[in-house]
Amino acid sequence: MTSAYSDGRIACPNPIEAAVLMEYWLGLLPAAAEEIVDEHLLSCDECGDRLRETIALAESLRALARSGSLQVVVGDQFVKHAAETGRRVREYAPPPGGGVQCTVAADDDLLVARLAVDLSTAARVDLSWCDDLGVEFLRMSDIPVGNETGTVLCQQSITMAKASPSNTLIARLVAVDETAGERLLGEYAFHHTRTIPGPPGWE
Amino acid sequence: MQHVLLKVLEALRTARLRESDKLAHFVLGTCRMTVLDLRRTSRRQEQLLTTFGGDLVPDPPPGPRLDDRQLARCVQTLNERERSVVVMTFYDQQTAGETARFLGISEANVRVIRHRALEQLRYCMGAKR
Repeated sequence: MTSAYSDGRIACPNPIEAAVLMEYWLGLLPAAAEEIVDEHLLSCDECGDRLRETIALAESLRALARSGSLQVVVGDQFVKHAAETGRRVREYAPPPGGGVQCTVAADDDLLVARLAVDLSTAARVDLSWCDDLGVEFLRMSDIPVGNETGTVLCQQSITMAKASPSNTLIARLVAVDETAGERLLGEYAFHHTRTIPGPPGWE
Repeated sequence: MQHVLLKVLEALRTARLRESDKLAHFVLGTCRMTVLDLRRTSRRQEQLLTTFGGDLVPDPPPGPRLDDRQLARCVQTLNERERSVVVMTFYDQQTAGETARFLGISEANVRVIRHRALEQLRYCMGAKR
């Protein structure tokens, strides 16, 4: 049985799930399922409105993902593809136990820390970010390491790096075992030098 | 070609072509007229588009706008796997297969993580449960 909204539109008796609408918009549905959604959308204003909301979320997420402003662990393929498609990727790979001098330029798009590490004995890995005194200010818990057991690639916020004054960050990769506690897998220092003007007051 | 054949068949059926030895001339003539007609039409379309094209492109309907800063905050609340899946999916629409290979999990699991993350983001952005 159908009901109507106050503006006269008919309420959909069988609305398409938001997840299905997103897969539809991303082109990830099998052809048969896509056809069913097509037919439904042709005759359903309510689901059409919900599709517009889905598109708005998808496009905002796309812009956010491409902005380079998120701190997130990514795959090697992701970084390669970004470089191949014309994005300026600045990558630093300090050796385990060592450090690297680094900076960012105004036209850089992505900033990536490449951390070489042996993950073969670690079930769960955390990435801890510390200040120059070694005090942790951010922990990325249970990071995805999957099949790339020799490296962890962490995209840093390029927006933050461009604004940040000269400083030192220490990254620690830690194996976490519920019974045995934590074990340091590798420590890496990033000595950042500001080369472009930052916002006033952040020195 | 299809257009010419239809014209010829129509002419034969309606007995407009009385002399059968003129069939080849009729076919060639129809071909020539069809090509000229197509060229004229295409030129006319180009002229019309040049003159009025700007007015013909409809404005996109106003879509819902999201608060980008709030969305960024919501994405930061996802767990690490969810955030990686979301970024890899939306950055350049990596398939579930590519993301699954990186994460070392099945494609079905990637879809589950993506669904869960998007649901959380929708609620974080104010959608009703």
